Amino acid sequence: MLQAHSLLWHYLWLAPNVLLLTLAFLIWKNGLQRTFPAFFAFALLNPLCQFALYIADVAPSITAENFWRIDWATLLIAGPLKFAVVAEIFARVFGSYDSLARLGRLLIRGVGIVLALAAALAAAYAAKDSLFEIIAGAHLLEQTIALITTGLLLFIFVFAAYFKLRPARPILGIALGLAISSCTHLAIWALAENAGLSPERRVILDFVGMASSHIAVLAWLYYLIVPRDVATKPVIPLPENNLDLWNRELERLVHQ
Amino acid sequence: MTLAIILVILAALALIFILGITVSRSLQVSEGANLAGKIQPIDVAAFRNLIDPVEDDYLRRRLRPSEFRQVRRERLRAMAAYVQTAGRNAAILIRMGQSALSAADPRTSEAARQLVDNALLLRRNAAFALLRIYVALAWPNSGLAATPILHGYERLNGSAMLLGRLQNPAAPVRISATL
Repeated sequence: MLQAHSLLWHYLWLAPNVLLLTLAFLIWKNGLQRTFPAFFAFALLNPLCQFALYIADVAPSITAENFWRIDWATLLIAGPLKFAVVAEIFARVFGSYDSLARLGRLLIRGVGIVLALAAALAAAYAAKDSLFEIIAGAHLLEQTIALITTGLLLFIFVFAAYFKLRPARPILGIALGLAISSCTHLAIWALAENAGLSPERRVILDFVGMASSHIAVLAWLYYLIVPRDVATKPVIPLPENNLDLWNRELERLVHQ
Repeated sequence: MTLAIILVILAALALIFILGITVSRSLQVSEGANLAGKIQPIDVAAFRNLIDPVEDDYLRRRLRPSEFRQVRRERLRAMAAYVQTAGRNAAILIRMGQSALSAADPRTSEAARQLVDNALLLRRNAAFALLRIYVALAWPNSGLAATPILHGYERLNGSAMLLGRLQNPAAPVRISATL
């Protein structure tokens, strides 16, 4: 079952992209494309890129070299789209708070530069996994995109956690799904590029990658489409505290 | 292979951390009602005294350098405790303010947004101030400006009062006493 071109392999390649296109339609239907334009573009274009790649993979008329050219083209579209989604997540989480927006922008630029340098170093020290430059280059580009996306998302989660900010449910879902996909793909491409695996083991990595994409799409569907349970978020009464406590502290200070 | 292992470990840790944060955020929803009880009172007057540079100048004049450094370090540790408490209180107010952001009353939601913004500013300033305090602990003779913390705290107090007044008009002033 865990073989290329098995039924499961076809399902895991196609199903997440069909679901993601469905999600794009539902986003458009609910008018959310104005709220999350970058994610809407990603949900629309990424599946189309993947369908093109799938056809290139199964169609016998397309040569291996052309397949990798198409792979490069899809990466050059999907990579910037993922960065745009990360920027959208950042803007949605911190943009409405003046006190954090400037510091956050400064920090995320710094983190972005550090991650780009780290990705360049990782690419420079990578063991070339293929005799063909076009294949090795595609794997390195995948690794670079995954490394930068994972790092930026981790920064956003850590920054929000430190400030106890709870992002709105849809944006949390978008961030979580992208994080699941990016972290898994970072590990996969690191192994594919550097570990010198046999073709059989690489197919298993393909399955893990496709399964993580499926989980990510399900998370997006759940967080963006399933309505929020209002009862789980009770209204918190503000501190009913008192002058007595305040005075006790003052008296303790005075009598020290 | 070493690079692959490092990247795989980093990716796994990042995923565990992100999932952990997401789960803990979800669990925090249920403990919302207990948040108010977690706010710790702060003696603003004492804190103001601690950060007063005139006090430091006085001590510097009256004490020998070694004694001054010792006293200064004690004061800095006390200052750090105050700042940490202020930061924790700000975090609690952020969570409370966020729960009121979706209130139907626009005045309440605007007051909540103001409270969250001020609390975020205070938490940010508290982090910077703590950093400076720890640096000053190493060099006790250096100057230290913790005044923005105090101003931030006082502004936060005002925001919490306004939101409290809008949410609970019967008890408008009590919130300021807590802070």
